Amino acid sequence: MELFKPIPAAAGTNQEFSMPSILTCDDCGKQSLAALVHLNGSTCPFCGGLFRMPARARIAMLADADTFIETDETLTSTDPLKFPKYSEKLKKAKADSGLTDAIVTGTCAIEGYPAALAVMDSYFMMGSMGAVVGEKICDLAEIALAKRLPLIIVSASGGARMQEGMISLLQMTRTTMAVNKLGDAGLLYVSVLTHPTTGGVTASFAMQGDVILAEPKALIGFAGPRVITQTVNEELPDAFQKAEYLYQQGMIDGIVKRGELKAALAQILALHADNREASHDQ
Amino acid sequence: MNRILIANRGEVAVRIIRTCKKLGFESVAIYSEADKDAYFTRLADYAVCIGPAKAEKSYLNIAAIIATAKAFKVWAIHPGIGFLSESAVFQRACEAAGIVFIGPSAEAMETLGDKAKARTLMIKSGIPVPPGSDGEISDLTEAKKLAEKIGYPVIIKASHGGGGGGIRIVHDKKFFDSEFNLVKQEALASFGSASVYLERYLTGTRHIEVQILADAFGHVLHLGTRECSMQRKNQKLVEEAPAPNLPEKTRAQMEKTAVEIARVVGYQNAGTVEFLLTKENEFYFMEMNTRIQVEHPVTEAVFGLDLVKAQIQVAMGHAFALSQDDIKPFGHAVECRINAENPTENFKPCPGTLSEMQCPSGYGVRVDSGYVKGDKISPFYDSMILKVICFGANRTEALAASCAALDELTVEGVDINRDFAKAILTHPDFISGNINTKWIETTLCPALFSPEPEDMEKQYGAV
Repeated sequence: MELFKPIPAAAGTNQEFSMPSILTCDDCGKQSLAALVHLNGSTCPFCGGLFRMPARARIAMLADADTFIETDETLTSTDPLKFPKYSEKLKKAKADSGLTDAIVTGTCAIEGYPAALAVMDSYFMMGSMGAVVGEKICDLAEIALAKRLPLIIVSASGGARMQEGMISLLQMTRTTMAVNKLGDAGLLYVSVLTHPTTGGVTASFAMQGDVILAEPKALIGFAGPRVITQTVNEELPDAFQKAEYLYQQGMIDGIVKRGELKAALAQILALHADNREASHDQ
Repeated sequence: MNRILIANRGEVAVRIIRTCKKLGFESVAIYSEADKDAYFTRLADYAVCIGPAKAEKSYLNIAAIIATAKAFKVWAIHPGIGFLSESAVFQRACEAAGIVFIGPSAEAMETLGDKAKARTLMIKSGIPVPPGSDGEISDLTEAKKLAEKIGYPVIIKASHGGGGGGIRIVHDKKFFDSEFNLVKQEALASFGSASVYLERYLTGTRHIEVQILADAFGHVLHLGTRECSMQRKNQKLVEEAPAPNLPEKTRAQMEKTAVEIARVVGYQNAGTVEFLLTKENEFYFMEMNTRIQVEHPVTEAVFGLDLVKAQIQVAMGHAFALSQDDIKPFGHAVECRINAENPTENFKPCPGTLSEMQCPSGYGVRVDSGYVKGDKISPFYDSMILKVICFGANRTEALAASCAALDELTVEGVDINRDFAKAILTHPDFISGNINTKWIETTLCPALFSPEPEDMEKQYGAV
């Protein structure tokens, strides 16, 4: 017995579908759907352990609502060396992340304080720095200079992008010079190191902040621990290259929990604001 | 339109996944850590752990469920029974995410979820309700005056209550003030609203319900009655379809009234109208459940219909091809719920591992379960292991088949209530229909376990 009248099957209703990505927590080893991890500040739904945070989510967390104005949002790599398979990798990274490269830059307000903000995205080719990342940082530094804004860069990167060879190494010099100019002009630059910040990024702008903060347990270094172990042929201490170790050694100024980063940045911005008196009155 | 997420667990998730397979839908199961490797997660095409054991962090976590549904690009979400199945907030969240909620509209759920408002609406529409307040009643003096007028005992209920919470029966006016205030406090604490209403407490009543099915075009069908008076602490144990010992005229009137109620609230999809039936065969509207019921298989058995399939078809926008006169029940069906609990120890839940489980089978025997041999019954959720549904050409046959099926059931590793269920099925009061919703507590339990542990507690003040 059929209780209902049949409906003629509509053509093309089947959506294209691929298995959503699954992430494993470093702290508890449990697997979660990436969508669920990013739903709650890129933390593990089971133990609260930190996952790498996509740039857009980080910006949503730091910038006041509707204040972020993106710059250079269409800049994309031209594969200058015609490096094997690079263009396919770029295409996939763009499709997966919805970004044009491994960094998002723009201006915004943080607890009402205007700032230039750059956030790297480690889900885009491991946040590697090629010509686009370098160019966007330099552009943003120019904007900060022109508008006399403090600059905040949240790093997350495996280092220079090998598919762009010497061009990507060149970005180390360019970005270093760009943030130096801010210092010369008396403007504040805050560098936030998140897991992982390594290679050419550590060796350039990331370690140049007037104030350097890091997220708990973030791996921060030049060469990774595996490479060093193989080179020096010695076992490394447990906390080696972790934010906590660097803090102990005086390499960074503070470790800030993810949920408290906005408040910490706002406090630093408040202390350095040009119109500090005025903002107190507000 | 090819994938459905099941926002539930255990037996009902298995039930829904099976119909999904039959209709060619892919199924996405969500589960908590406590349900890792549970049968329903193995049966589904995809299974995702969405959070810890606590229901608030998993099966009640709307944001996580919607995010999972989006990641899997599902067409619809089936909410099952309990958890978010009657949540208007969840329905709206699905709608906002562009996902079909297999169930009624948020408006219908809100109207019926607020029991005081529902009562007002029913009175306005000429639906019989027990004597009491017109709707919400907040003033103590006014409430007391009304209680006096309708006569004790009275029952004070939280408007947003459910699951047996936020209810007080007052037999004597000297307790009215304190009980009234207590329900208000409890209502605010448990259900987020201090709204309460008042009704005459009817004793010796039966619980009879009518299955409703409404398509998206305003057509409402009823699928007959179910007898659900066999309850202990508002938990049903044995259900039947159609309800026995019901005068033809009363049955027809109840069915007609249920359809009328569905029309009044603009209902869509499957729902159940619950009635109280007095010894004099007068019936009153109690509430309407805006979801599928645990006992839906007895209706499926006598009508030969798959109600979960019907729910999906309504959600897809199918219109009824049949009219009320085309669908007639045949025979009789009985459902027994088998729980992991120990009736001799005051029905203490008994979680554990099912070291052995063999289910009855054969003509007219259906077993719905969320478990197979070797599975764990988690202490975090309800203790139901399985339901045995037996069909017979008549009630005598269905009851005999049920007893025989329960004898064939083997469960080891946890205590079950099989003997208790059989004690119900074979009791002369039950067979003759001399029963009411308090019969288990007032007649059967004292007869089986005398004195009942709870009475001893009262007697000696022991805790």
